[in-house]
Amino acid sequence: MSIALFLSVFLIAACGLIYELIAGTLASYLLGDTVFQFSTIIGCYLFAMGIGSYLSRFLHRGLVARFVSIELMVGVIGGFSSSMLFLAFAYTEAFRLVLYAVVILVGTLVGLEIPLLMRILKERFQFRELVSHVLTFDYLGALGASLLFPILLVPKLGLVRSALVFGIFNVGVALWSTYLFREQIGRSHVLRAGSFVILALLGIGLVFADRISSAADNSLYADEVIFSRNTPYQRIVLTKWKDDLRLFLNSHLQFSSRDEYRYHEALVHPGLAALPGAHRVLVLGGGDGLAVREILKYPSVQNITLVDLDPEMTRLFSTHPVMSALNQHSLSNPRVHVINTDAFRWLDTNTEQYDFIVADFPDPTSYALGKLFTTTFYRLAAKHLASGGLIVVQSTSPLFARQSYWCIVESVRQAGLRVYPYHVYVPSFGEWGYVIGSFAPYEPPRQIPSGLRFLSTANVGELFVFPVDMQPVPAEPNRLNDQVLVRYYEQEWKDVAH
Amino acid sequence: MLSRREFFGAPALIGLWRKTDREITGAFVNDSFPVGHRLRDRAAFHVPAQKLRVPIVIVGGGMAGLNAAWRLDKRGFHDFVILEMERQAGGNSRWGENEISKFPWAAHYVPVPAKGESLGRELFEELGVFRDGKWDERALCFDPQERLFINGHWQEGIEPEDGASQRDRAQYRRFMEKIGEFRATGQFTVPMERGARLSPLDRMSMADWLAQQGFDSAPLRWYVNYACRDDYGALAKDTSAWAGVQYFASREPQEKGPLTWPEGNGWIAARLIEKLKPYLRPGTAVYRVARSGNRIRVLTEQTEYIADAVIWAAPTFLASYIVEGAPHADGFQYSPWLTANLTLDRIPGPKNDEPAWDNVIYDSPTLGYVNATHMGLATHIDRTVWTFYWSLAEHTPRDARRLLLAQDWNYWKEAILNDLARVHPDIRQCVAHMDIMRIGHAMARPSPGFLFSEERARWLKPAGNIFFANSDLSGFSIFEEAQYRGVEAAQRALLLEGRA
Repeated sequence: MSIALFLSVFLIAACGLIYELIAGTLASYLLGDTVFQFSTIIGCYLFAMGIGSYLSRFLHRGLVARFVSIELMVGVIGGFSSSMLFLAFAYTEAFRLVLYAVVILVGTLVGLEIPLLMRILKERFQFRELVSHVLTFDYLGALGASLLFPILLVPKLGLVRSALVFGIFNVGVALWSTYLFREQIGRSHVLRAGSFVILALLGIGLVFADRISSAADNSLYADEVIFSRNTPYQRIVLTKWKDDLRLFLNSHLQFSSRDEYRYHEALVHPGLAALPGAHRVLVLGGGDGLAVREILKYPSVQNITLVDLDPEMTRLFSTHPVMSALNQHSLSNPRVHVINTDAFRWLDTNTEQYDFIVADFPDPTSYALGKLFTTTFYRLAAKHLASGGLIVVQSTSPLFARQSYWCIVESVRQAGLRVYPYHVYVPSFGEWGYVIGSFAPYEPPRQIPSGLRFLSTANVGELFVFPVDMQPVPAEPNRLNDQVLVRYYEQEWKDVAH
Repeated sequence: MLSRREFFGAPALIGLWRKTDREITGAFVNDSFPVGHRLRDRAAFHVPAQKLRVPIVIVGGGMAGLNAAWRLDKRGFHDFVILEMERQAGGNSRWGENEISKFPWAAHYVPVPAKGESLGRELFEELGVFRDGKWDERALCFDPQERLFINGHWQEGIEPEDGASQRDRAQYRRFMEKIGEFRATGQFTVPMERGARLSPLDRMSMADWLAQQGFDSAPLRWYVNYACRDDYGALAKDTSAWAGVQYFASREPQEKGPLTWPEGNGWIAARLIEKLKPYLRPGTAVYRVARSGNRIRVLTEQTEYIADAVIWAAPTFLASYIVEGAPHADGFQYSPWLTANLTLDRIPGPKNDEPAWDNVIYDSPTLGYVNATHMGLATHIDRTVWTFYWSLAEHTPRDARRLLLAQDWNYWKEAILNDLARVHPDIRQCVAHMDIMRIGHAMARPSPGFLFSEERARWLKPAGNIFFANSDLSGFSIFEEAQYRGVEAAQRALLLEGRA
């Protein structure tokens, strides 16, 4: 009997510490600044326990029933604490408010537990023994929890499940107390019924724990995240809402499956359809295989080389059922060769010639990426053009980043190529720009493959017409030793965002 | 007083808190002290077993010697050798390489040669860097070029802008106006000999000149001091004001540069060495140069060379130990340097931090670090090599040399990591290897009064058939001076051979 009693002291002590650790961990995970988060949370929690201890003097009658109710409250609030905090972070502006409210509430309730328990037990033990035992098990529980938390709970269960499991322990102690102290308790059946309801709630929480923990991610991306992975190169996130798949690389939208056909048809066909005899094509970037899907519509093309830095990206778009369905299994086509390496270096060490080159890189958000939009890069790419060949470059938005767009056009021109700028409207991106570079004069194709969803022989010429608000503005070329583009780009997108 | 709790608690807590530092391998490399000290102490050398008649002998395979050889070879003169003490030629332009990148051991850039600098343009044209009036974009320093860590964060460029007051900015402007006036005199040229005229500036230090002109802005003084430490290895108070002005006034930035490569000026050295391989005798220390009639005997431990002319491209102070009858060279002062190459198998935080090519820490006694992979084409870098520079300028050259010899590798390794940890707290988790090179006489130091001293003038005068060519004759060690002196000496030697 007495061992069983002290075991429940051990358990509630462990539960109390776990909630405190969860709050601290979550706060430092979501807000950063670990030292600050842990210090303030431990401080508030201990202070709240003091409030609880103080308040315990105002409870006079029905101590066991009070104790059981307190355990149930701790079980609910503590058990759902990490779920609440995750959701508060994802969907509200008041994360800190919820955080400290939860910490103070749980702390106060936990502060009530031990004084009440000691008063309940005071008839059964000598005071000297009682204090010694209760405190011993209290501290033992804290030790157990603090070891369990980093070693087992966080890695194996995660924060959401850990809280729920310890909530169940609290309810367990409550339920058990209704039997242990049944003679001191008036309405034990009501408390028991309450316990089972809460137990059921926590159980349901456990079943849906995964959904709750991905909610923070979802909130950032608006839609359900169906895939997310950190590779050595980038963070790949794929979201889905109804039939709309969206790919994000480092939180930048790459495509939406609803309108990517506009982007990729416009990327490939104005150039490739103008090269009837093309049989060697090079795609730089574009690991999603969507540009390759369009290129494969030309039976004359015998050989497509895709160079993308991230093997995880091309693996994903070759094997993942949803994503490989989107690119119509283009990356598994025998005409396609995938090479995972740095495109600039690969071009530099290779002498192959191509009829058509597609440069489909992420926007120049850093000096590192900006290298792929320099005169040196285009000059090198031009060396790989077979006679009469064309290169097409994704060139950011001529509307939102007008100077950046014309800077890219100027850079291609400075590489010694004739330039043919054009643009298309992609709803999820807005107006988007490209530029074709070639040694020989180029004319938009007279014949576009049939069966496309956006482009046709009739409308391809329209892409090359720029309305007044997107017409050329003066821009320096982007050079390796003076990356004006990165500065233009940063400035222009900042202006759009504000 | 520490309480008992603090005394016992603090170290234990710190020990628990901090990650265990990883073990960093490395050593001192390329030490040239042993041979240098044997020469200084006039130790016994082997008497060479064979004699060889070679019309022109070049002593020293650094930039001056290599450029002298380049000129001889280009003029169709092939009867010469280059004797280099070290196993690797290149002198201050030596370089290294590991599985990640090539990297420099000292000199790491050349400012884009202006229109009038025909020698530099000629060489770079030959090396394919200058073509049809355009500079190769792959050799012009990529963006971002320089950054400065000041007030707790990085700013672009090394002129301290962050936190500069109106007054500071006004002084920057006035300083640049002054420099513009000096530039307009045409006396501050590259190479210096073309324009230099006796000037009272050489009689005072750069620090005194700043004070005299009322420049008291702390960031401006830091910047000027940094320039002196960087190019001359000396503080502004130990640098001739003429040299201090020369640093700023000798070039008009026309092209965004400078020219640089992953291995720094090792790229130039490697190409010259490749061209001149047949003439090069590395690992050959000259211990005596003596006249014998009209000829000159050049003694090494392997061979005695009998020459018509000697081009002395090694540091000039060494000539006073080795060349028979050479005067003392006491006025020639040299700053010692320490460079370290750090192999990083992780890029230090913060995340998404893009290092510049040259990264400088404000208020640090060191010169910062240069990122070797900066001049690569790759867009994703997960390992790199940093070259860390330290000119020990706050000591006298003699004391700094003592310090260099007295302290072990671990001492310097720790000092370097502590300096870097100020800007990259996780540096100790990123560095796998660190090689350190100590150079006792790395750069000529233009102390006040030296540039227009009689001593320098005496060494410049042609001395029969020995032609001195080291860049230290200009008072400072930069590529263009070495090239100019080397080529000049080669022309004179050719004249002597009747092959002008």
